[in-house]
Amino acid sequence: MRLVTDRKDGEGGPHLDADGNRSDEWSECLTLIAQHQDRAAFTRLFRHFAPLMKAFALSGSTLSANHADELVQEVMLKVWQKASGFDPQKAAASTWIYTIARNCRTDLYRRLQKFDTPLSAEDVTDSQESEEAFVVLHQKRSRDRIHALLAELPNDQAQILGKVYMEGKTHTEVAGELDIPLGTVKSRVRLALQKLQIQLER
Amino acid sequence: MSNLHPDLDLLTEYAAGSLALAQAACVSIHVNDCRRCQRIAGQLTDLGAGLFEALEPSPVGDAQLNAVLARLDDEKPLEYIRKKSSTSDTPAILQRLMRGDFSDLNWKNVGSALRISYLKTGDPQHEFALYHIRAGGRIPEHTHRGTEMTLVLEGGFSDANGSYHKGDFLLRKPGDVHAPTALQSEDCICLAVLDAPLRFTDWKFRWMNPFLKLRTV
Repeated sequence: MRLVTDRKDGEGGPHLDADGNRSDEWSECLTLIAQHQDRAAFTRLFRHFAPLMKAFALSGSTLSANHADELVQEVMLKVWQKASGFDPQKAAASTWIYTIARNCRTDLYRRLQKFDTPLSAEDVTDSQESEEAFVVLHQKRSRDRIHALLAELPNDQAQILGKVYMEGKTHTEVAGELDIPLGTVKSRVRLALQKLQIQLER
Repeated sequence: MSNLHPDLDLLTEYAAGSLALAQAACVSIHVNDCRRCQRIAGQLTDLGAGLFEALEPSPVGDAQLNAVLARLDDEKPLEYIRKKSSTSDTPAILQRLMRGDFSDLNWKNVGSALRISYLKTGDPQHEFALYHIRAGGRIPEHTHRGTEMTLVLEGGFSDANGSYHKGDFLLRKPGDVHAPTALQSEDCICLAVLDAPLRFTDWKFRWMNPFLKLRTV
């Protein structure tokens, strides 16, 4: 996690969370945008996230470079517009931004396929955020754990997760593309999730 | 609280955004009302964010940045309004698709106990329909040519495998045969998302099979 260490107190100032910790740089940028329409903060976010968004757009294979650029602009504008909906106590900035990118990419696919639909990808996303401190803390711990364990996944499992998430393919599509049985795709995803300790409790 | 949930495969595809629109809509209605699935979907989305941050960045020039900066003035930040839990018990997505409530819909009677209303999601590959079964009414025995997601919205029903109540999510695989019967106590409303038409196995209804088509409206 990056910490902001070079900003002077005063205008904007470092933001402290409930435990008195500094929040991470990206949460702080979002807060500055929400409260002060801060373009410098927006520029920092852009320089970090826009290249990731472009890579994400291009991993979806069917988008042209023009569409990828269009998507980057659209996502960054949404980030600007929706920043006040970001709550640093409850969500991680990277997850919040990724979710916008994912939804915009899905909507772009559907526009390109000329879907005539009253629903946006955001409409069919779960929108509840827990208000309970215990749950919020639990989520933060699991998020840190997932990010740390992700680097240790074996290649075949990481490859499948990449196809499902970054390329936006269903398990069936991944099986077809890699020419392996659907059961193998599912078991690799399951193994990966087990290693990341994401599981259903009974 | 529901007892039956989407499995981890489905929740992963849902969190990754790779589910078809009609299926994603059905899963999200369940998840929005199920804290257990919300928690897992949240973790699966955090996983997506981790993969996103680990991508090899693809260069974006200053021209793009400047183009976006120039557009910021036109795009004033939205005043964020927390979604109020509406007074209606009906899920928001359905209210949107129905443009009203269950009573405002166009229902087609299928026999005496069942009526069906097809909703348009814009997903060309999936039928998205509400089934209203009268209390105690039975749907003729049928099988599925494809997969069927069922979400119980009101009341409940039972079949040879068990009974299902409000909030329960079921995934039927091709070849599963059943004859759901609504609980005696109240009418049952279910959402069903199909990727292929049903096929009746009940002799009295088999003549209909050649006429059954997927209705995406």
